[in-house]
Amino acid sequence: MGGLGGFLLRRACWIVITLWIVYTASFILMRSVPGGPFDSERKLPAEIQKNIEARYKLDQPLINQYFNHLGNILFAGDFGPSFRLTDFTVNEVIKQGFPVSASMGIFAITFAFVLGTLSGIVSAIRRHTAWDVSFMTAATLGIAVPNFVLASLAIVLFVFTIPLFPAAGWGSLRQIILPALCLGAPYAGYIARLTRTGMLEVLGRDYIRTAYAKGLSERRVVTRHALRGALLPVVSYLGPATAGILTGSLVLEQIFALPGLGSHFVEAALQRDYPLALGMVMVYTCLLLFMNTLVDLSYVMLDPRVKIETQ
Amino acid sequence: MHPTVRKLFPYIALTGLFSALAWAVSFGTLPSADFSFHNGDEVKTVDPALAYGQPEHRVMTAMFEGLYREWPIGYELDEQGNVVSTPEPDENGNYPMGSAPGLAESYELSDDGRIYTFHLRPGVKWSDGSPITAHDFVWSWRRTLHPETAATYGYQLWYLVGAKQYTEGRVEVGDLVEIELANRLRADQPFPRGDIRRAKLIGIARPPQVSPPTNASDEVKEELQATWRSNWVYVVDHNAVPGASESASGKVGAYCKGTADTNWKQYETEWVDDRRPESLPDTTVKCQQILLDFESSVGVTAPDDATLVVTLKNRTPFFIDLTAFYALYPVNRACVEKYGTPNWTQPQNIVTNGAYNLEFRRVRDRMRLVKNPQYWDADRVKLEIVDAMAVKSVTTALNMYLTGQLDWVTDVPASVIPELIARPEKDFIPTPVLIIYFYRLNTTRPPLDDVHVRRALNLAMDKQLICEKVTQAGQIPARSVVPPGLPGYKSPLCGEFDVEAARAELAKSKYANRPGGIPKIEITYNTNDTHRAIAEVIQQMWKNNLSIDVELKNLEWNSYLDAQHTMQFSVCRAGWVPDYPDANTFIDMWVTGGENNETGWSNARYDALVKQAAEEPDSELRLRHMEEAEAILMDELPIVPIYYYTGKNIVSPRVKGFFHNALDQYPIQLMYFEE
Amino acid sequence: MTESSPQSKHTTEASDAERYTRLLDEARGIHGVSLWQDAWRRLRRNRVAMGSLYYVIAISILAVFVPLLPLQSPLDKDLRNRKDLPPNLAAISLGDRSELRFENNSLQAELNKFEASMAEMRRAIASSAAEQRADLLQRMETAETNNNPLLKLWNNPGPIVQAMLRLRIAVFGDWCIPSIFGTDDLGRDVLSRVCWGARVSLIVGVVATLVSLAIGVSYGAIAGYCGGWIDELMMRFVDIMYSIPFIFVVIFLLTILGAEDTKRWLDEHGVNQLVIFYVVIGAFYWLTMARVVRGQVISLKNEQFVEAARVIGAGRTRIIFRHLIPNVLGIVIVYLTLTIPAVMLFESFLSFLGLGVSPPDVSWGLLVNEGTQVITPIKIYWWLVVFSGMTLAMTLFSLNFLGDGLRDALDPRMKNR
Repeated sequence: MGGLGGFLLRRACWIVITLWIVYTASFILMRSVPGGPFDSERKLPAEIQKNIEARYKLDQPLINQYFNHLGNILFAGDFGPSFRLTDFTVNEVIKQGFPVSASMGIFAITFAFVLGTLSGIVSAIRRHTAWDVSFMTAATLGIAVPNFVLASLAIVLFVFTIPLFPAAGWGSLRQIILPALCLGAPYAGYIARLTRTGMLEVLGRDYIRTAYAKGLSERRVVTRHALRGALLPVVSYLGPATAGILTGSLVLEQIFALPGLGSHFVEAALQRDYPLALGMVMVYTCLLLFMNTLVDLSYVMLDPRVKIETQ
Repeated sequence: MHPTVRKLFPYIALTGLFSALAWAVSFGTLPSADFSFHNGDEVKTVDPALAYGQPEHRVMTAMFEGLYREWPIGYELDEQGNVVSTPEPDENGNYPMGSAPGLAESYELSDDGRIYTFHLRPGVKWSDGSPITAHDFVWSWRRTLHPETAATYGYQLWYLVGAKQYTEGRVEVGDLVEIELANRLRADQPFPRGDIRRAKLIGIARPPQVSPPTNASDEVKEELQATWRSNWVYVVDHNAVPGASESASGKVGAYCKGTADTNWKQYETEWVDDRRPESLPDTTVKCQQILLDFESSVGVTAPDDATLVVTLKNRTPFFIDLTAFYALYPVNRACVEKYGTPNWTQPQNIVTNGAYNLEFRRVRDRMRLVKNPQYWDADRVKLEIVDAMAVKSVTTALNMYLTGQLDWVTDVPASVIPELIARPEKDFIPTPVLIIYFYRLNTTRPPLDDVHVRRALNLAMDKQLICEKVTQAGQIPARSVVPPGLPGYKSPLCGEFDVEAARAELAKSKYANRPGGIPKIEITYNTNDTHRAIAEVIQQMWKNNLSIDVELKNLEWNSYLDAQHTMQFSVCRAGWVPDYPDANTFIDMWVTGGENNETGWSNARYDALVKQAAEEPDSELRLRHMEEAEAILMDELPIVPIYYYTGKNIVSPRVKGFFHNALDQYPIQLMYFEE
Repeated sequence: MTESSPQSKHTTEASDAERYTRLLDEARGIHGVSLWQDAWRRLRRNRVAMGSLYYVIAISILAVFVPLLPLQSPLDKDLRNRKDLPPNLAAISLGDRSELRFENNSLQAELNKFEASMAEMRRAIASSAAEQRADLLQRMETAETNNNPLLKLWNNPGPIVQAMLRLRIAVFGDWCIPSIFGTDDLGRDVLSRVCWGARVSLIVGVVATLVSLAIGVSYGAIAGYCGGWIDELMMRFVDIMYSIPFIFVVIFLLTILGAEDTKRWLDEHGVNQLVIFYVVIGAFYWLTMARVVRGQVISLKNEQFVEAARVIGAGRTRIIFRHLIPNVLGIVIVYLTLTIPAVMLFESFLSFLGLGVSPPDVSWGLLVNEGTQVITPIKIYWWLVVFSGMTLAMTLFSLNFLGDGLRDALDPRMKNR
């Protein structure tokens, strides 16, 4: 188990360094963009503008702001107040938005995983049949149709033509289904294709032939022997995909009026809400790095050939 | 890896998945609201001092109330809230809106029009049950004006004597000042304040200035300057203020915000009347702020709990309307001082004084407003629970309205406006509002520095077509910057669409015969489908009618604002929402160097007229001055007016008490459902 | 040739010669089957992939030769008469809109008039005195930009596009295809917008992908070949880039580069907004490419052909770019066909945010976004979303299938299937 500990320790160091670089890069990028967080259509008198900047310490030299903010994050875990949503701190905004994005994301990823792997397996086993062709066409369509088109069509179909779901909003299970399906669709498509490819490769291996030769049923061969190997590429895809899904989707959150994180992601950037934007970047990066570590660990679990030391 | 671990792994993963799913379906439940409305973008803050914008306005007027409140003129209810009389709408469907007594019952105005004496309504209470007094107003306005509050709309109080100087933190020798010692409870919170010492400023000692290195950047220079200013030593006379708290350190005191040298007495010092006091303290006392003495110098006082006296710099005919504006609402001192800013605005902490109290809030979802039983007019507030939904996409808002999730939608997708107007329910009635859509022309850039080109651009624009076919919601083509509908004011008009006249005008310009033709023009607009469509249509009109090449430049909101404020554009789309219903708010922005001028245009005669209007006691004459000024504006055209907005509200036919009006303000406390 | 050799007199020698000839002929008959031929053979058997290939080729040709087609103007807005028309077959001719004030309401007539006036001016210049010439020349230039009717119906056509447009007018005259795809809310022909949108979308897809290709392949190859700490460092950099949310950076870069002074500077150097757009997107899609190429190069670099090149004294750069990169092209092409759709989808997302191409240029992303705006339960202008959505989806679809097909075809293990 020493290998595991060492691996995790090294990984933790690397994560810290990455986070720091990402933070610094984002900080520099954000500050080089024209426009400030307190611009409004009505230009404020210079004195008031100055006072507002002083209030948020934006009048200090950039380097001081950088170290102050970084220090607050490191020692207090505090990203500071949001510049635009003035009543909230960044931590509060994230705390409110994350559960929404996360529950939608969990639904979406479950749906994508179940549907994707099932159709992928069926396609691989029944290769070149009508099943295969229609599943793969659907999968590619899922990838090829932009999700704002998918969502708009879904609303017309399942809200107005066949009134199954409410139009938008957050708070009940019925409100989550439609956006989760739209969010999961392209991922389901990718997973289906990855599973099919992986499955085809595995099915050609000797040990599968051996399993068949032993007289095992097809179902047993597939579930017991082939699946493990075939899912490896899916697992490595799931890591970054989950990080992306959990931080929400701007398009779907706008169309379905959901209070998730995705809108903050883009809007904080567009509105120059520096602390919120940095907070969002950090959340995304942390999630991504965490998921990638998890993926590497599950590789070890799934594939006996992978040893932790080689990481 | 141990084989059992490996064998168990799929089960562990599955358990994880199922528990995640179980967590994801566990929703907290909220009881449903009586009334839900589409509030547009997320409300940035519910602190009246810091708020700005339309969504904020809607919730702010529901949660707080000022001396006066916006009210349909002629709408009367009896004690039980039954409608006694309803005003008649005008031909556009608008109801007259005005200011009706709110927390104040009445006021008296001095003969020179500068001193208002407000009498507070007896028995008015905060939502926590404590009484609202005139002192609450004094304290709240002081907070709004305090430099560290950095109130966005603080300048709406600058009509008061001394208010602007107080916000700017400028003090001069001879002024009465208030010194806040550096002993605040929380350094980052201006309220509660540290100990205050009131005194007369008798001298300012300025340390020698360090000259910045020659190659220093502006930033470095500014910083040096700021440091230098913070090291000034203020010498005050504690005994000069009658009734001020007794001084801690004798008659004469010396204060400094930064760090003063021990030899500060050698500094070059400006003394009042050139009189240096005989004895000066050796050390300076560190202080947080030195501001103009609010009590004696700023024009708001509370002689008793029920009376508020406000002294203005000049006659300001629209001041009563301003008191209905949220920047002048009072806030609860105890609440603000206990929790600090912004924590006091959280639902569990906030104390309000309006028809509703904030019960629950989720970012980008909703603000739940619940009827405030302590509100003085609570008997006539009918809706118990109101949800203000932050829905950004107008298409989504429309969908939610059509499926019954919303009762009032404040904006609609432009593409379906004709269909909405044609709906049998008649729930969409666009009415004109006092907002103008116009193009700013940068008069410092060729070819827009030539007035003939500007006139030609205006004449070559078929505004009627834009209103009929692009915006489609009954917008009125604009030929003046002040929208129609302000009583007594008649706007002078600029030229109407006429291609021949436009070409003739262009031929007169200095660019007409210049080699290379007329320089290319770029229209800058912010990301929005309607702005884009209008720009595309105007691009075609200018190209077809005048053969001027036009490029379009789409910027996201903040870059667009930056481009506008720094005048990095040639033509830029803009809109103007009045602060108060008076022509002045549309006129005074175009004076030379005005903050919101942003066209580089300057006209001495115009400036003089605007100044004259501001000082004119006669309200008729005042309007004539403004009309004359606008005539100059409409002749020189640093801006091209395009159309006047219409309010695009869809209101469920079940909702009563909704009055369309030109101010685009709809008090929620008036609304109720038909039985 | 053996026949001409002196030994041919002898029969035994003759039969030998015959045998050699036969052998040689036989050898000539057997062609070594290269990887590419093999792949092509396999690809041809994949009907879906071939269909996709034909579609992609067709749409690319269409995009290039759009100006030659008898389409309506993609930007002429007839708000009065042609707003929101459903697909129809009503005849329409170019330059018909009266506000254009074209001669006889015809583009052809107006163009002829314009050409005639230009010719006249040219004659005047030729016959004028030298001192007047400069002035006249400038006047002509002004007239050329002001009066050219083509500039009123098409957005900034370059010389080649203008030539194509003239050819199209010469062949088809003012006739154009009726609005079989309907018209949009500003009265523009949707068919023509979809076709012109193809140009922008495909260029965004291809250029951005090529940028990502150039960066990704060289980066990956260098990292893979050099190995050691260089490889470690370069790959760590890729890891970090992966963790920076990419939408975020693109938004920032686009706003920084869109700022007035930066833009002016770039304009002076002949870089316009659209190019920046391509490059910025491209500059962020190279990461996967770099990883894939690196992996391939690592497995190839110890092969004998690389050893051989090294032995004969080839330099590092030469080995990487002449020997290694051609060998990873297969996998690169596969990624290429998968990156183009991703980039095109991303473009449509940026259009959703309003950060895409600026009008009157139009892209599929923009069209689809405009189309979805009018999917409301009140009224559905289905033609605005169906046609643009279909073309976009079909293209992405084909590119995806083509990519799959190529991957299968290039995979040696698939040889005997």
